[in-house]
Amino acid sequence: MTTGLLKPALYREAGSDADPAHPALLGGACGCGHVFFPMQNFGCERCGRTDLSPRALTGRGRLLASARVHLHAGKHRHAPFTVGSIALEDGPIVRTILVDDGVPFQAGDALTATLVDVHDADGNLRRDLRFQREA
Amino acid sequence: MTSTLKELRPVYVVGIGMHRYQFMSDTTYIDLGLAAVRAALADAKIEWPTVQSAYIGRALLPMACGRPILRHLGASGIPIVHVENASASGSTAFRHACIEIASGLNDVSLVLGVDKPMPIARAESLTGIGNLADDAIAPFTHFALLGDQYASRYGVKAEDFALVAVKNHRNGSKNPFAQHQKERTLDEILGGKRISGTLTSLQCTPVGEGAAAVIVASEDGVRALGIDAARAVRVTASVGRSQRVYDNATRYDAMLTEETTKLALAEAGRAPADLDIVELHDAFTVEEVEYVEAMGLCPDGRAIHELKEGAFDIGGRCAVSPSGGLIAMGHPIGPTGVGQIAEIVRQLRGEAGPRQQPNAKIGLAHMVGVGAVCYVHVLEA
Ligand SMILES: [Zn+2]
Repeated sequence: MTTGLLKPALYREAGSDADPAHPALLGGACGCGHVFFPMQNFGCERCGRTDLSPRALTGRGRLLASARVHLHAGKHRHAPFTVGSIALEDGPIVRTILVDDGVPFQAGDALTATLVDVHDADGNLRRDLRFQREA
Repeated sequence: MTSTLKELRPVYVVGIGMHRYQFMSDTTYIDLGLAAVRAALADAKIEWPTVQSAYIGRALLPMACGRPILRHLGASGIPIVHVENASASGSTAFRHACIEIASGLNDVSLVLGVDKPMPIARAESLTGIGNLADDAIAPFTHFALLGDQYASRYGVKAEDFALVAVKNHRNGSKNPFAQHQKERTLDEILGGKRISGTLTSLQCTPVGEGAAAVIVASEDGVRALGIDAARAVRVTASVGRSQRVYDNATRYDAMLTEETTKLALAEAGRAPADLDIVELHDAFTVEEVEYVEAMGLCPDGRAIHELKEGAFDIGGRCAVSPSGGLIAMGHPIGPTGVGQIAEIVRQLRGEAGPRQQPNAKIGLAHMVGVGAVCYVHVLEA
């Protein structure tokens, strides 16, 4: 039995058509050309249209910035950890935790999405999306 | 047809009053608020019953905190409006009081910013739209990421950002209303507790409480109440904006600052080079670097160089955050934008003592708030 995803509304194990090798991010697209993450049905932030379509975004992007977080107040997460701003190749910019491989991150690094084991608030094992440097 | 603030009846700030920004204490919000309002009334040399409306800026205190404060001045029955607009709550309250005076509805209004630290929830966390990072990216990490992005764009070092804190703590050491009133060396700032990215604790605004009050009046109000017109400072522009979809999505604070400042300066008929003082939202050092460029106070990528040359010091080309800014004066939220106006008025009157920017004639106040919103005001002696 595979471990369930922590946030199945945001990503899936299967890749996108353009990038089958990495988990896809569950974004959306508007007829105006705006591509966004995550998917929502409230209305397009650029033009206000409501006929929005789900779009699986590739799990590939480039690092815009990173920061090592030394102080964290929440009890379910322990500093230090590293976060990044990632420009997805499909357009949206996302921010989340990076898999730290010990080598300092540089703006422009090619990154890919991966699923890692985490514990949810109730202590159950789940898998959550991270970005790591491309092998 | 629409008008700008400057095209309507002239609006003047005629009284300013502060309760020092401080770490959380047993002082009630009533004491904080009353101290600021009584100081502003005394500064204007007017009596409470002459004030015709009150705007309260607050973001952390629970609903309806205004009358529990103001009733102790003698309940006069005036309208009281509470304004919540995140960090820009005080600035927004000020804007709407100015609009009321400019419109001719009233001649004298009070703006009070007051807050105490309280646990609060952000509406953005209740939208039902998920978030990959959840609480992993606190505000200080949002700005740590922007700092890293700026550093790789222009090749600046971590200690370069800390120079903003050296300047602002130096300014704060001369401000009796500042939460931090201690000059700090670059080594002290860099050697402080590491928070996120290159940010250390003295490069981040402290959590605190306080109050700031200003009284705004029309020319009729100034005349009728015998207010000293020589100490009145005119508000020549007021602009509020909110975030759009930007190509450079992570730099929305800077993009929003750029467009809001441009509109405000156009409304005042001024250029960035005309500004003698600027009070801006420097909750984190990188913000000052980003915003002085976004405002056009120096070309893109030149802020650190200009900072090193002293261009933004008191006595420099344009004193940026002579109060100490959010980093040293503090950021109790509701009061912050009102406190900026009080500082600019004090400077433009030439009453800022050891932190006086020589010959200051034109000042600009800038706040951003989560959401994101941005408010900019221009004041002229
Ligand atoms: Zn659209």
